[in-house]
Amino acid sequence: MPEPTVAIPVTSEDPKKKKQNEKESTDEQTDPKKKGEEKQGEELSEEDLQLKNELEMLVERLKESNTSLYRPALETLRTLIRTSTSSMTSVPKPLKFLHQHYPGLQTLYEAWPPSDDKSLFADILSVLAMTYSDSEPRGTLRYRLLSASLRPESSPLTDPGLWGHEYVRHLAAELGEEYSARTLGEDVEVEEQTEANLDGEDKEKEGDQKEVKKKPAVVPGTTDELRSLAMECATFLLHHNAEPDAVDLLQELEIVDRIAELVDENTYERVCQCVNLLPTPDDRAFLKAAHSIYGQHNKFPQALSLAIRLGDPELIRRDFNAPANPLMKRQLAFLLARAQIPREWLEPQASEDGAEDGESELPEDIIDCLCNTHLSEHFREFGKELGVSEAKSLEDVYKSHLENTRSSTAANVDSARGNLAGTFVNAFVNAGFGNDKLMVEAEEGNSWIYKNKDHGMMSAAASLGLSLLWDTDVGLSHVDKYTYSAEEHIKAGALLATGILNTGVRTEADAALALLGDYVENKSVPLKTSAITGLGLAYAGSHREDILQLLLPQVSDDAVSMEIASLASLALGFVFVGSGNGEIASTILQTLMEREDKQLEEKWARYMILGLALLYLGLQDGSDATIETLKAVEHPISKQAVVLVDMCSYAGSGEVLKVQSMLHLCDEHIVKTTKDQKDKDKDAPEEPPQDDTFQAFAVLGIALVAMGEEVGAEMSMRTLNHLMHYGEPVIRKTVPLALGLLSASNPQLPVLDTLSKYSHDNDLAVALNAIFAMGLVGAGTNNARLAQMLRQLAGYYYKEPDCLFMVRIAQGLVHMGKGTITINPFFSDRNIMSRTAVAGLLATLVAFTDAKGFVLDKYHWMVYFLVTAMYPRFLITLDEELKPFPVTVRVGQAVDVVGQAGKPRTISGFQTHSTPVRIGTTERAELATEEFIPFAHVLEGFVILHKNPGYEKEDKMEL
Amino acid sequence: MVCIATTGNAPSGLGPAGQGKGQQQEDGDKKNPQEQKKKWEPPLPTRVGKKKKKKGPDSASKLPAVHPTTRCRLRLLKMERIKDYLLLEEEFIQNQERLKPEATREEKNEEDRTKVDDLRGSPMAVGTLEEIIDDEHAIISTASGPEYYVSIMSFVDKDLLEPGCQVLLHHKTQAVIGVLQDDADPMVSVMKLDKAPTESYADIGGLENQIQEIKESVELPLTHPELYEEMGIKPPKGVILYGVPGTGKTLLAKAVANQTSATFLRVVGSELIQKYLGDGPKLVREMFRVAEEHAPSIVFIDEIDAIGTKRRIQRTMLELLNQLDGFDTRGDVKVIMATNKIESLDPALIRPGRIDRKIEFPLPDIKTKRHIFKLHTSRMSLSEDVDLEDYITAKDDLSGADIKAVCTEAGLLALRERRMRVTKADFTSAREKVLYRKNEGTPEGLYL
Repeated sequence: MPEPTVAIPVTSEDPKKKKQNEKESTDEQTDPKKKGEEKQGEELSEEDLQLKNELEMLVERLKESNTSLYRPALETLRTLIRTSTSSMTSVPKPLKFLHQHYPGLQTLYEAWPPSDDKSLFADILSVLAMTYSDSEPRGTLRYRLLSASLRPESSPLTDPGLWGHEYVRHLAAELGEEYSARTLGEDVEVEEQTEANLDGEDKEKEGDQKEVKKKPAVVPGTTDELRSLAMECATFLLHHNAEPDAVDLLQELEIVDRIAELVDENTYERVCQCVNLLPTPDDRAFLKAAHSIYGQHNKFPQALSLAIRLGDPELIRRDFNAPANPLMKRQLAFLLARAQIPREWLEPQASEDGAEDGESELPEDIIDCLCNTHLSEHFREFGKELGVSEAKSLEDVYKSHLENTRSSTAANVDSARGNLAGTFVNAFVNAGFGNDKLMVEAEEGNSWIYKNKDHGMMSAAASLGLSLLWDTDVGLSHVDKYTYSAEEHIKAGALLATGILNTGVRTEADAALALLGDYVENKSVPLKTSAITGLGLAYAGSHREDILQLLLPQVSDDAVSMEIASLASLALGFVFVGSGNGEIASTILQTLMEREDKQLEEKWARYMILGLALLYLGLQDGSDATIETLKAVEHPISKQAVVLVDMCSYAGSGEVLKVQSMLHLCDEHIVKTTKDQKDKDKDAPEEPPQDDTFQAFAVLGIALVAMGEEVGAEMSMRTLNHLMHYGEPVIRKTVPLALGLLSASNPQLPVLDTLSKYSHDNDLAVALNAIFAMGLVGAGTNNARLAQMLRQLAGYYYKEPDCLFMVRIAQGLVHMGKGTITINPFFSDRNIMSRTAVAGLLATLVAFTDAKGFVLDKYHWMVYFLVTAMYPRFLITLDEELKPFPVTVRVGQAVDVVGQAGKPRTISGFQTHSTPVRIGTTERAELATEEFIPFAHVLEGFVILHKNPGYEKEDKMEL
Repeated sequence: MVCIATTGNAPSGLGPAGQGKGQQQEDGDKKNPQEQKKKWEPPLPTRVGKKKKKKGPDSASKLPAVHPTTRCRLRLLKMERIKDYLLLEEEFIQNQERLKPEATREEKNEEDRTKVDDLRGSPMAVGTLEEIIDDEHAIISTASGPEYYVSIMSFVDKDLLEPGCQVLLHHKTQAVIGVLQDDADPMVSVMKLDKAPTESYADIGGLENQIQEIKESVELPLTHPELYEEMGIKPPKGVILYGVPGTGKTLLAKAVANQTSATFLRVVGSELIQKYLGDGPKLVREMFRVAEEHAPSIVFIDEIDAIGTKRRIQRTMLELLNQLDGFDTRGDVKVIMATNKIESLDPALIRPGRIDRKIEFPLPDIKTKRHIFKLHTSRMSLSEDVDLEDYITAKDDLSGADIKAVCTEAGLLALRERRMRVTKADFTSAREKVLYRKNEGTPEGLYL
């Protein structure tokens, strides 16, 4: 509200006309038309005339010397002004008539000795000043403060609200202006704290802006007084349904933290929203303020979700332990489990051995909630409920009878690739159900694994993990048989599968660590890498110290190959995502400095630095020191690393400055013209500018920073468009990936259109990435249009094995979990960013920045990195026993209702279902009846209900 | 035609398949995947015809909508964020232009363009597209009579092709080489008001309530939509001004046009009645389309009774109803209608939801009459004996227009006698004349 531009209604046009009239009277009334107008001005109805005369009489009285008459005169004036009504398009009549007397009254005011009357006078002048706001800004505020200062302590000034809404708004606007002007002024003249100086300063500054005033102190009062006045205004605004105005006002005066004092239970709901758009220090203050409000009103889920956003272990622990109700606690545990908050954070800050105690303190059921133990169970039940538990075959997904290709083309594609694609499709489509036909249900020896060769077998075996996702009991026994396989690749795949199926689920048994731990030291490279990666996936976000001990030596060890060291670094990045762990960071940095240039040239190096970057995910300026250190690394890889670390630390923040710096990086054109020249470059690595990978990362960085904030996300799409237009190949091929990241699992038509266009690009690398991005965008949505596009692409690229492979994978992604799983990293009404999910997405996308080197080569299993981002997009309502409990809910498109009047619907175009239901990325659910009260504030994932004691059935009410 | 179709079909069914096979082998021979890309014809179906109606700028370059519409800091911040991004884009593009000037690309484009021009050839002929056979062929007709089966050049924008549109034809082969796009109906472009009228609110005597009401329901929704949003109501779609002739309905509309910077479309009801069936509705549709294109805009339909009368000219009015309250939302289009026979209007037209603000223009009361007289006589030189109060207080049913007529008449009378001043006698006879003319036929005072 308090923007300078908003004072609309008061000065619509009548005052201007008046002024015109005044001017005209000096102009000797030349223009006949205007003369008419003046006549009109004179021509008033009788009541108006009477009012005018009365007002004039009062003004005259004030000008007389008889002081005893002042008081009644002023009081009459006040009543007249207060009782007058105004319309939207015109000024209240008393103000209109008094307008011309304002300058006169001003001078008169100066002449008066200080007294109670003078204070009253100032008060009235302050109201009158509203009509002069265009020529003499901040008059209202000035007189208000003057009036306040003239009052004795005992009888403070009346509530500003008595003068009406318009006055308060005006005051609020001027407060904001004044405050910002002052802070600017303070910047100019530093260190001058006394009031006199402040005033003097004000005078200087104001002198520039407007006509010179007679009074030395233009706006009296200290900043504290301004603030207290602001508080008064805010109170008024809050009581009159103008919460946004109140928040804005306090925000402008930088005292938003004090809003907690003002809000009551009716208003707190609407207070907090614009965090993403604020510059860095403010947003945290704001979140904290909102958090304390929720805390005050015992809204634990809301408070906890804000605490998660803040990423503050202290707050999270406090919020988690705050509620006494065990059900509420379970609900909070579900929320924490979704966010993959390390359990250690919840334990009281004790010594080393205290950790053990803490675990035992928590009751069994809460640990179950915290560990997602029943996720698999619930998910399968959910599948059954939706009728999708039946396994889907490849053909169900491809629907190749709908492809418009000529027959007999299938034979043309090399079958190894086809089978490999089949592996992935099967894994993604049947993810979590544990009943796919190719792997789990297949008879011994007849498994799909044996339809693949070499490294294909690894992915095939690992697909078992995806199929049995979250199912820690049955899954392990299925995987187990492959771990004894003689074939190294199958064994490696089985290890990876173990890691994958434990993703996001914690168990008492710690099976993943037990099974994989030994293989970390194994001699065989495939076994070693998959064990390391498996650990990384299984413990993503857990911040487990024992993993650190296990993996860190692999990073620092000079003897191991770059591949192993990088993957170990990445795994550590997964496990310690967003922790800012100094030990790992320094080890990785050390490695970067010690490794030979030749090794850093390797494609694997990017995973080394990604591991480093993930440590700082969402930490914002927490990564500054690391960035500085990285700059010291001489090798060109430092540039990539700086970009990665920087973008990760600001992931999802919407920070425009970061986007800008990323764009600057993309400005350069690093020319790699011909192929032979490129080959030459490979031989001559000493030319640093030839390395352009950092540009690819920068493009991803734009998406990563901008995502999570709608305006920024939409605008960055435009930016990416430009990049596509101007960029070099390396940028162009990353743009589709960035688009995929921006709208993961959120198939909006414009994005689909754009990607569809890119998927026919002349540059095959661009097309390839665009196809994969289409998969990401539609992941787990079953989007029919997208499926149609992909079928078309399958026909289009039926002779490009690489592209066709990718089309198949994208098809698999689109039908991920048969449409029940999302990979969107934002949850809880798209407010909280899941760090592990972002890590998974990012790792996958980084693999695609060099698709030829990773995914299309032997390392197609890297697509499984997505698993950390996979989560069922369901809403399951549970009763107090944590048993599924069907209720009716409405599901519809989410509507942004912030700042709207009344209580508008938060969803539109809804349908009524019975839980469990699936919820799309931009959808929202609400309970259809008020029979139950949910513990969670956002209906997503697991929600515990309890009966509304006050609920009465409708037919009962009629009785 | 059948003959052509069959012969055309046979090769197209077999040809590509055969080709494809041949190419397959070829591709099989070539090991290098780089070489083999994009050799075959992409089987992408081209979309012909205007499937989607382009509304506004391209969806890719559209700016995101900003919520909430309330004036608040959140909105400000969002707007600023958009601005920031736009600045970034600007900076980026500038940098790009500096680093890699457009010039080289421009040259290339230039080359392409001349090539296309060569292909087009000149002179060109204009024909009408009758039917689209497949992606490359169509039937066209020319003014000279015969219809041809011709090919469509590949560079023609297929999105614009639709049956019945005007196409450019090659002068020899008659191939389609371009599409002629007709913009808005010329009938509609006439309606657009380019020059604001000179009448302003100051020229209106009285009618204060009416002015306020029209301001609130037409102007404010366009200038400050957030006020309505804050209140949680939808602003009215439009207003209907009604009242006996000469009470200032059109004048007020003119004043609105004068005051606002919105596009002002004005049309008279009778214009919407067209000779041919369907033309009227089409015009209405077109008019609203133009209005929306130039939003925010105000559509003023004078003498709405010409079409709005109890569905006598049904189609036009039904279309109008649909435009007012159809499925398409008309955001920033406000409608002002004026009539002097509101009782004869179809009630469907003025039901709430379509035009729900009815503003009555009564005959002026004494105060207003005085005002109007003053307005009109302010530029006349009156002799001393003229006492306007006589006419003002007389119980004649004078409307604003009548008053103006009286003043003009009086002026004319004075002019006839080459007097410099208008006298009382002039006014008296002018008034009589006007009243006589007004009541045409019925002698004054007969029924009193």
